[in-house]
Amino acid sequence: MLITNIQRFSLHDGPGIRTTVFFKGCNLRCPWCANPENLSFEKEKYIKDGINGVYGYELRIEELEEEILKDNLYYEDGGGVTFSGGEALLYFKELEPLLKRLKDKQIHICVETALMVKEELLEIALRYVDLFIIDIKILNDKNNVIGGNVQLYKNNVKKVFENNKKVIFRIPLIKPYTYNKENIEEIEKFLTNYRPEKVEIFKIHRLAENKYKSLNKKMLEIKEEISDKEMEELKSKLNQLNIITEICQI
Amino acid sequence: MKQFIKKVLRKILKENIFAKHIEAMKLVYNKHKRVCKTQSENKKYFLEQCIKFRTYSSKKTYKLIKNIDIDIDEDNHFIYAVDTMKQIRTSSRIIGNITIDYERLLNNRLEDLENMTNQKIIFSIKFLLNKMKKEIEKSSSKYNKEIKDNLEEIKTSKATTFYSALQRILFYNQLLWQTGHRLNGLGRLDKILETFYLKDLENGKLTKETAKELLKDFCVILHKYYWYKSNALMGDTGQIVILGGKNEDNSYFCNDLTFMFIEVMKELQIPDPKVLLRVSSNMPRNLMELSVKCVQTGIGCPLFSNDDVVIPKLIEFGYPKKMAYEYVTAACWEPIMPERTLDQTNITTINFVVPFHEMLENEELNNITSTEKILELYSKYLKKYCDKVIELLNKVKWQYDPLLSFLTAGCEKEDISLGTAEYNHYGVNSVGLASTVNSILNIENLVFNKKQYTFEELNNARKSNYNDDKIDFVKLLKNQKEKYGKDNEHVVEVTNYITNVVNTQFSLYTNKFGGKIKFGLSSPGYITEAEKTEASLDGRKAKEPFAVHISSEDSQAYTELVQFASKIDYSGSRFNGNVVDFMVSPDFIENNFKKFVDFMMTSIKVGFFQMQMNVVSSKILIEAKKDPEKFPNLIVRVWGFSAYFNDLPEEYKEVLIERALKNEGKCKE
Repeated sequence: MLITNIQRFSLHDGPGIRTTVFFKGCNLRCPWCANPENLSFEKEKYIKDGINGVYGYELRIEELEEEILKDNLYYEDGGGVTFSGGEALLYFKELEPLLKRLKDKQIHICVETALMVKEELLEIALRYVDLFIIDIKILNDKNNVIGGNVQLYKNNVKKVFENNKKVIFRIPLIKPYTYNKENIEEIEKFLTNYRPEKVEIFKIHRLAENKYKSLNKKMLEIKEEISDKEMEELKSKLNQLNIITEICQI
Repeated sequence: MKQFIKKVLRKILKENIFAKHIEAMKLVYNKHKRVCKTQSENKKYFLEQCIKFRTYSSKKTYKLIKNIDIDIDEDNHFIYAVDTMKQIRTSSRIIGNITIDYERLLNNRLEDLENMTNQKIIFSIKFLLNKMKKEIEKSSSKYNKEIKDNLEEIKTSKATTFYSALQRILFYNQLLWQTGHRLNGLGRLDKILETFYLKDLENGKLTKETAKELLKDFCVILHKYYWYKSNALMGDTGQIVILGGKNEDNSYFCNDLTFMFIEVMKELQIPDPKVLLRVSSNMPRNLMELSVKCVQTGIGCPLFSNDDVVIPKLIEFGYPKKMAYEYVTAACWEPIMPERTLDQTNITTINFVVPFHEMLENEELNNITSTEKILELYSKYLKKYCDKVIELLNKVKWQYDPLLSFLTAGCEKEDISLGTAEYNHYGVNSVGLASTVNSILNIENLVFNKKQYTFEELNNARKSNYNDDKIDFVKLLKNQKEKYGKDNEHVVEVTNYITNVVNTQFSLYTNKFGGKIKFGLSSPGYITEAEKTEASLDGRKAKEPFAVHISSEDSQAYTELVQFASKIDYSGSRFNGNVVDFMVSPDFIENNFKKFVDFMMTSIKVGFFQMQMNVVSSKILIEAKKDPEKFPNLIVRVWGFSAYFNDLPEEYKEVLIERALKNEGKCKE
């Protein structure tokens, strides 16, 4: 398994104190991506502050397990492990034996996913994952610059809810991609069907700039910022749907 | 007459009285500079005061006590006066950095403490009490009647009320400062004061509110001579209050006063006195919540000491079980007994890097081909180094100390400086362990495993202070994956191997009083010792500061550092203060309060030894360094104490800024 980072004492990727595992490789190409080092399924060389390095290292499943279990005691108050990426679900077939062992140990499992993956991968996740943190990005195929199949995504989301799984939606907001009149309306319409734990909305930030530089890539320029007022407006709109909505400062 | 003058002159010359007098004066002068805006302001103050300046030999302690001038704070519930113009002349080290048995003093009137040899001391204390009573009577203090009664009670009976108990503690504490003792701890005040507090609540003499008011005034007045009490750095007063703690039956002790003390510190926002909270896995969560809220204000306290780990080590070392549960700490964090103690915990510092560099100088490096070999050779040099430490300890002499002997049970017949206390252990602290461990791991990885450089090449780069233009050795050596603070088995193994060498070498030693040596992995010397140390193979350049206590240079997960600290072996003599030191940004706790408390509670179970936090953002520190006047009350944690940021020397400010930046994952601009 190719991993870029294992972040212990992670407090923002689900309940309690968690260990977040970032898998390398993604099937989507969101222009605003905050983790450009997790896009390719290959190891990538980088130069950061004059030091050469490689994004991505191979880890055997036992090694990953050992790393996750190191903070086991800290998971007691609702914490656990979060699989993120890249697209974490793409690794779930390989990961299944570990998921099973973690489940046996009653460790809370969470996954951060864009959910545009084959159904069989989702099936595995449904067997083990306690909490799905699902992105909502662009909900129509028409101007879809990110790749992926929106219908597949919608079916998958439906399935997650049918299985009574806990869901948190995350909406990255950036003009003109995800934040435009049409897409916001689509999102609102989409959300009327579901009762997630909450929805987190956040503005796309430029924290990833150094990572882009290290890969000799250019980060997308944000031409028009979303105002705080616009964020508040969206929040109250979603609240009106009886969905707890939080504005996240990431 | 001639004979008399000759005799006096001889004495003056023999004991070098004049020089010592001047030295004492200089010390006070330099300390007072700390609170003067300009040099001339200090000079003016001193010219006015120096006419009153007197020094006394320690044999004449009683004379000093009689002659002090009393100064009164009219709005405070207490009287507390240290006359900085009256000093002891010293020829040896004055015993300090301990906590006297305040409980015993509260439960005995002065005369009950009377003994064969210290009549003069008792007389002088009585004299002083009468003098203070007169002064307070004359004064326009709001509380002169109460204070007068409380002073009288010290002579005539046990302490009877919460209020008079606090005054009595202050009175004896003041005597210690007056007679040259430094870093005077205050003990387990929540426990010591409990019966007085409960009794007064019951009989209506006290309410929770008035008790809190008294505690506030108590802390304020202890803070009064901050400039004078501070040791090497402003803030280093060692006025430590110990709260909470595990009982022998494994239950957890805390009471209203435990909470009240922390609330008072949180509200007062002064760096001193400071609070150490003894924690245990079964402590109440709301006490931890309050403590985190206090830490969150940035005042750097409480410091947390984990009884589940500390107490078993104290018992193993040889302290009686019952006493181990009563432990307090010396000024920073070194566990000591709260009574009958001479234990001196910070006599000198081990610099782990020094013997490592001796090895690099004297051995044929190309023949060293494995980590085992390095460790074996390093042990040889480290053992020799320990022997030198022991030599130094053997030379230490303690100043004759009639006051402390009087205040210490069991030292009635012979002076405490001759080893008549129950506990006479010596302690040393250490720096440079992280540098040494990282040096070894770097050699292992770059020389033995990757074969990227030869040992010689790395050492030459080091000797040139990493001045190579072509290769950035500093970055290379500082950025290796395995390093001190990572909870990786191998790192822990190397760390424990090294400390065990010292442990074994020290286990053979007893001092002339029958005491043993203990050492710890935290030290105030991480800047001063480093200034004398050449570049090391962890990528540290010459004179650059060492890592602070048990800390990590990277923005490492707190859980990982705690796990690492919990795997360090503190057995044998290795318990002389082992503090995990974090930088935390204020927003971090604010935004994750519940999870942070969860983290603290679980970390106790995981098993850290001790822990302290600096809650401050790099942005504020940088601004405060640039523009000190804007931040007069900014408090930070240094070594084992809290201090005003503005009072610190520039190099300490730099270290804090750099650590805050690293914690926030930022680079220095």
